[in-house]
Amino acid sequence: MSKTAKVTVDGRSVDVPDNSNALEACRAAGVEVPHFCYHPGLSIVGQCRMCMVEIEGMPKIAASCTVPIRDGMVIKTDTEKAHAARNSTMEFLLINHPLDCPICDQAGECKLQDNAVTGGLPVSRTSEARRQYPGYERTDIGKHVIADMTRCIQCTRCIRFCEEITETGELSFIERGGHTIVWTHEGRALDNELSGCAADVCPVGALTTKEFRFRKRAWWLDKTRSVCTGCEVGCNIAVEHKDRVVHRFIPRVNADVNDFWICDFGRFRSEELNEQELFRPVVRGKETSWGDAQDAIKAAVDAAQKDVLVLGSAKLSTETNWLAAQLFGKHLGANVEFVVDRGDRHRVKNKKADGNVAGWLEGYEAAPNSRGAEAAGVTRGGDTGALAAVLTGTLLPKVIIVLDAAFSAKAEDPAVIAALRKAGTLIVCSRRRSALAAAADVLLPVGGVHNDEGTFVNVQGRVQRFDCAYIPPPIVRTQLEILTHLGKKWGLFDTRWTARSVFEEMRATVPGYAGLDWDSPALVGSAPSASPAAPHDVLEAPAKGGLGLPALQEVGS
Amino acid sequence: MSKTPVPKGFTPVHSARFGKKGSQKLAGYEADGGYASWKKVAKGWKSGDFTPAKIIDMVKASGLRGRGGAGFPTGLKWTFVPPKEKRGGKPVYLLCNADESEPGTFKDRLIMEEDPHQLLEGMLIASAALDVKHAYIYIRGEMVRCAEVLNEAVAEAYAAGYLGKDILGSGLDIDLTVHRGAGAYICGEETALIESLEGKRGHPRIKPPFPAVSGVWDCPTVVNNVETLAAVKFILDNGPEWFKGMGRNEKNTGPKLYCVSGHVEKPGVYEAPMGIKFMDLLALCGGMKGGKKLKAVIPGGASAAILTAAEVADLPMDFDGVAAAKSMLGSAAIMVMDETTDIPKAVTNISKFFAHESCGQCTPCREGTPWLNKMLKRLIKGEGKRDDLDLLLQISNQMGNGMTICVFSDAAIAPVISGITKFRDEFEAYLSKAKAPDFALAAPAEVTPKVADRVAEGIHG
Ligand SMILES: Cc1cc2nc3c(=O)[nH]c(=O)nc-3n(C[C@H](O)[C@H](O)[C@H](O)COP(=O)(O)O)c2cc1C
Ligand code: SF4
Ligand code: SF4
Repeated sequence: MSKTAKVTVDGRSVDVPDNSNALEACRAAGVEVPHFCYHPGLSIVGQCRMCMVEIEGMPKIAASCTVPIRDGMVIKTDTEKAHAARNSTMEFLLINHPLDCPICDQAGECKLQDNAVTGGLPVSRTSEARRQYPGYERTDIGKHVIADMTRCIQCTRCIRFCEEITETGELSFIERGGHTIVWTHEGRALDNELSGCAADVCPVGALTTKEFRFRKRAWWLDKTRSVCTGCEVGCNIAVEHKDRVVHRFIPRVNADVNDFWICDFGRFRSEELNEQELFRPVVRGKETSWGDAQDAIKAAVDAAQKDVLVLGSAKLSTETNWLAAQLFGKHLGANVEFVVDRGDRHRVKNKKADGNVAGWLEGYEAAPNSRGAEAAGVTRGGDTGALAAVLTGTLLPKVIIVLDAAFSAKAEDPAVIAALRKAGTLIVCSRRRSALAAAADVLLPVGGVHNDEGTFVNVQGRVQRFDCAYIPPPIVRTQLEILTHLGKKWGLFDTRWTARSVFEEMRATVPGYAGLDWDSPALVGSAPSASPAAPHDVLEAPAKGGLGLPALQEVGS
Repeated sequence: MSKTPVPKGFTPVHSARFGKKGSQKLAGYEADGGYASWKKVAKGWKSGDFTPAKIIDMVKASGLRGRGGAGFPTGLKWTFVPPKEKRGGKPVYLLCNADESEPGTFKDRLIMEEDPHQLLEGMLIASAALDVKHAYIYIRGEMVRCAEVLNEAVAEAYAAGYLGKDILGSGLDIDLTVHRGAGAYICGEETALIESLEGKRGHPRIKPPFPAVSGVWDCPTVVNNVETLAAVKFILDNGPEWFKGMGRNEKNTGPKLYCVSGHVEKPGVYEAPMGIKFMDLLALCGGMKGGKKLKAVIPGGASAAILTAAEVADLPMDFDGVAAAKSMLGSAAIMVMDETTDIPKAVTNISKFFAHESCGQCTPCREGTPWLNKMLKRLIKGEGKRDDLDLLLQISNQMGNGMTICVFSDAAIAPVISGITKFRDEFEAYLSKAKAPDFALAAPAEVTPKVADRVAEGIHG
């Protein structure tokens, strides 16, 4: 903990880190000073002139974000002069704004709208023509982002994001004064790994993502805490959904992991969650009930006399993998293994965190939880191991159970499917129709990560919880449910078990989980923020909840 | 020699060599006694006859105040640079502000074009005093001729050993670079100048930190105006007492270049002791053009509040004198307006300048300057509305006094506020001429012309 200083905000006294500015001190005291250009993840520029406050001993009104605090400083946000100053800035910002909230995606999570509604003048005093920006309206400036300069308030958050976070510098002020526009440098596109975050930081609807435009009014969205499954970095996200449809992913602040950001690859995977194609268990080509399917599995496994291979998955929670390891490995003596694809590099900026590459956290695996699966007692397979042996034909288990049909890109390879198919009974859990699903003797319909809850262990060894956005469609189950039901068949598990009770059960034995609390901030992370432009900045970083598992040293080196 | 008249008993200082044949050349400068002070300093450096403290004390004792606009005491500014042991090994930079773009200002240009070595000598002395190893002249982009003359002078000074390594055996190493800006008024604001010199957009920085502590490339930096730095040379030539002897009082000292423009018989740069009365200055200029009556004066560039004829009747033209009249001496750009001047039109014209030159960072300035200009343009077109004058004043008051990062915005409102309050009847006359319809719904949408051009050029969109 750095040194602290005592300041007074509107009569309330608070202790804040002595490197805070007055705006942050106000926040710490529970007073949110309206602002636009201030963003906790970006440098201070003091340009928007919205966060005006009075400070005792300073003759002039001051932009609070530009004032470093001192011990004993007295800040007043609620004075006539401070209100007048902020109202004035609002007036200036609105005289050229198109006020097209009814057709603007930002409406409902727009800082301009919020600050206009909570403060500002009730009337407009301008009768001059509003500024127009022909050629700079609703224009693609990159793969994901559309810009509309009529709405821009020149806060430079997006410019600073591209300079300071991605260090790609695509955006700039062009022209000057009232003619200022924010645009890409000539001939360049907004094209970087985190470009969607530029739309997040934009406090207004000047930058929006093509993927989310006109999809859903922001105020309808339900927000569920989750963790990105794109790679093992495990960026904290909010799954934003409505009426059982996922509309977008927005980063959730985690100072130790993804800070305020997520990469485009992870962000734009949200649509995959809406792709549920299988709704009923199928046994040998016939739709059937869960009871029949479970009986078929039990019969096959019992008959196989331990000659069973169960494929867990680095895409499933530690809890699910643990149940699989307990049931099939510990009690039934089967081989329980997982493999994980080494994918493209995905990364997120975090200047402060113990990233594996200076300033960045990098992930190379195409799944979020290989460390958790391993900790749960599932064997990490690869070039050697049971699956490898099956693929080379040296091992021929009587029963193969694939807990996640999307466990690897291999699952789409006809040669691999043919090898798995050689098992006497092939049991597959899947959301989607696929060649592997079609080849299964027993096909079990499962939901997606957003239909489940549990924990993942990220590249840093940090245990992170993801929550269930909504339960799977009728009849469809999660793998955790399937395993508790199956476990009951052997008299081992209870169908009332939940991810939480499994978590509590397995804590005693799973490395790195000892003493963890399902509800602790370290596991759950921060709450989804009301607006991507107003991230919940955790002033205190969540306590380290790490597994103590070694981070993959060779990754990224 | 300078043919411009000077007050009786006053010997020109900065302008003494203006207009003289070959005045820009080193040989001529040396023949007139140039670089004598620099040689003295260099010679006395090793022996300790000259120390930074000694030079700074001389500058302090002279009472020299910055000629760039704010009139800040130069010696005091220099003491804000942290001592060597607190700089963490960082160098100190001296930047000469030669961006001269305040409307009505054209004095620095004359120094640079006519007698560049006086500036270089002043900068060398200042560099020695401030432990500067590399000094820069940031010169306004449009002033091509100045840059050429300066570059020639710098080359001559290097060749003569006045600049470079171990100057005249003193152990002092000083380099000097002339850097051309791209012609933005705001780059005259010292922190915008610093950003621009660093190769970035000319955006003023938030202060603190002040340049003396963290300026260009995060190093301690002193920014001074051309005339200020040139004055340092004359202080060393003639001593602080001589400097102080000129001027109205202790706080307003030295010779001063006044840029007089507008309705006078002979506009131009006039040198006079600091604090010359406005009417005496007017007399030097041959009086009002065509013998017309004086109506108003802008005493310190477009950023200064307009003064009425009555206010300037007995006004000493120095920092405190003009400040007492609630305006400012600024860059001493004196714009004289006779009885035929249409003040609302003049104010509108000035407001156009500020709307054009705002850097665009701060909301009140970026949005306020064009708003003022749009309203004023509408007013003088005869489309004003009853409440416009009050609204103009209210908006102006919302733009100054800490509402923005730099004082550009304060400058932009000074002519509007002073114009309307002092010449309200003229503005109201426009209102009474106003045409009927009271709303602007039918007005065509304003198209930012440059944006439109860019689209036409096919660069964007
Ligand atoms: C908008 C603006 C424009 C300025 N332009 C100039 C300029 O062109 N030349 C100049 O010397 N100072 C200019 N200044 C003043 C400088 O910021 C700075 O105060 C000055 O260069 C300091 O030098 P001095 O102490 O020698 O006066 C300007 C200030 C502002 C706010
Ligand atoms: S586009 Fe958005 S983030 Fe960028 S400057 Fe404009 S308002 Fe700010
Ligand atoms: S006041 Fe105007 S010129 Fe100065 S920094 Fe702000 S926007 Fe730029």
